[in-house]
Amino acid sequence: MMKQIALYGKGGIGKSTTSANLSAALSGMGLDILQIGCDPKRDSTRMLMHGNFIPTVMDLVRERGEAPITLSEIEFTGFNGVRCVEAGGPEPGVGCAGRGIIATFQLLEKFGALKGDVIVYDVLGDVVCGGFAMPMREGYAQDVYLVTSGELMSLYAANNICKAIKRLSSRQKSTCRLAGVICNAKNQPNEEELVAEFAIRVNSSLIQFIPRDRVVQLAELNRKTVIEFEPASAQAECYRTLAARVMENTHFTIPTPLEIDELESLAYSYI
Amino acid sequence: MSLNPLPIHISRFGGCTLTGALSVTTQVRDTVTIVHGPKGCTHHNFSLLHATGLDNDNISLPDLISTGISETDIIFGGEKVLERTLDMVAERNVGGIFVLSTCIIDTIGDDVGAVCRRHYNVPVISVPTAGFLGGTFQNGVNNALNAIADTAEPCLPGQGANIIGEKNLEYEVDENYAEVTRLLSALGIPVNLRFLRDCSLSDITRLGAARLNILRDDDLLGVGKHLQQRFGTPYISSYPVGLGGTIDFLETVAGGFGVKSTQAVLEEKVLQEEILCEFEDISGTSITFDQPDTSSDAIPVAREVAGRISASIESDGCVVPLPLSPPVGTNGIRRMLHRWRRAIHA
Repeated sequence: MMKQIALYGKGGIGKSTTSANLSAALSGMGLDILQIGCDPKRDSTRMLMHGNFIPTVMDLVRERGEAPITLSEIEFTGFNGVRCVEAGGPEPGVGCAGRGIIATFQLLEKFGALKGDVIVYDVLGDVVCGGFAMPMREGYAQDVYLVTSGELMSLYAANNICKAIKRLSSRQKSTCRLAGVICNAKNQPNEEELVAEFAIRVNSSLIQFIPRDRVVQLAELNRKTVIEFEPASAQAECYRTLAARVMENTHFTIPTPLEIDELESLAYSYI
Repeated sequence: MSLNPLPIHISRFGGCTLTGALSVTTQVRDTVTIVHGPKGCTHHNFSLLHATGLDNDNISLPDLISTGISETDIIFGGEKVLERTLDMVAERNVGGIFVLSTCIIDTIGDDVGAVCRRHYNVPVISVPTAGFLGGTFQNGVNNALNAIADTAEPCLPGQGANIIGEKNLEYEVDENYAEVTRLLSALGIPVNLRFLRDCSLSDITRLGAARLNILRDDDLLGVGKHLQQRFGTPYISSYPVGLGGTIDFLETVAGGFGVKSTQAVLEEKVLQEEILCEFEDISGTSITFDQPDTSSDAIPVAREVAGRISASIESDGCVVPLPLSPPVGTNGIRRMLHRWRRAIHA
């Protein structure tokens, strides 16, 4: 059965790096992977595409107008056969990026492109409007992973996303659930323990701790995922473990978001 | 931030801000109104204006153009399609163009004012009309009147009065105007401008030449104040309403112009007595009003008139119709009494 997973988290926390390495690791398991970047910044799949910014769905819609678009113009094959799509969006400051995400999904559905073993949705920083909750709506991502570090603002964003998941998952026929927390570490003291405790408190679990490692930056400078750039590294092994856990995961929950003062005192207790 | 705490009951004059603005802009001859939004906003309003026009024996079609925005315009912004539409309409040799916005346009943040400020060889007047911001039909009317007023420059006052904010969609709009001009001419005062009903953009240059602005009703206070600031014209806040109210109106207007009202008031009182005598046959009847809504603006006048014809108001009385808005002047009361009589004799 096809798995559809979404990664949400604060901007700059490493969602795209984590998504791309997760997709690369999943493809290494012989799976057919589609990664969809749901962020107007369009850089989700860049490392899978060896540093290239692929044309976005919204770029083509803007240029073509009514003229037809074909799947081969928006879906590109990257590292190890991972299929890559970038939703894109309007120029900053105009229009409605959320509606752009909805339109992209409708187009991909029309093409029957939402297929394969795993679809990875990499979604912009926060759930800023209904359009960016689209991947969590009926028929799309069922498993939502929160990417966070141990920093308070990152946990705060993750907690906010829990509120969105809670709201969406309470709807009739909704299949969207919180599937786990991924700690993309900033190398703070007690970071793993803090994020693990946060995960439990929001009724989930820490699925993987990803330590901070210079190899991630080196891989990016070489325009590759860590999986491709340094497959024998401990970091690559870490992403492969994440991939295996994601495939085995059956612990899907309706989250219990924290109040802000609970969150603060939690972070305080792990100083 | 506008909030609607509960689903609201929509009355005839409560609804869409866009419709309110259109009820004004479509009265300016030789202009086109562009509605920046999806086609449906224009279609719906076109139908409404057309149907209401037919009710008032006006067969001309409102000159509306929709920018017809699509999903891609919403995603990428609708300013370009508005600019294209403006260019196209400007080529049509029209006297002016109004640009009205819609809910979705303000949701995605199009800067309609900035697009309208570009040069198109014809006057372009932008009226913000997104209804979801909490505005009503009346806000649309007021926004349109204020925007149009800003095209006129202050000038020396003449001898007349302006009529401000006629309800162009009300069935008795012209009868009500006739009643007000009858009262004004009894004081020897001409009308300077109907702002705004059936006039051209060049007529509007004389907006500032009135000695007094007469507002259709006090929902237009914002417009009255705006005009006072811009042109220094004082205003009175309503058409004449009620028997006593009509006499007050004559006295207030006369005071504003520094003319004597004695003769006009005397004649009006005689007319009022004659009219009340016409309805002697329903004098002393027990009546009740057809609208359970006791907050209706028409209730005080209806009570005053009932009192003057010695009709008692009782819950099991004969049901008589209340007008949608208070009857205007003495002749408005006569029409109301005709309807009461039909109900009582039915």
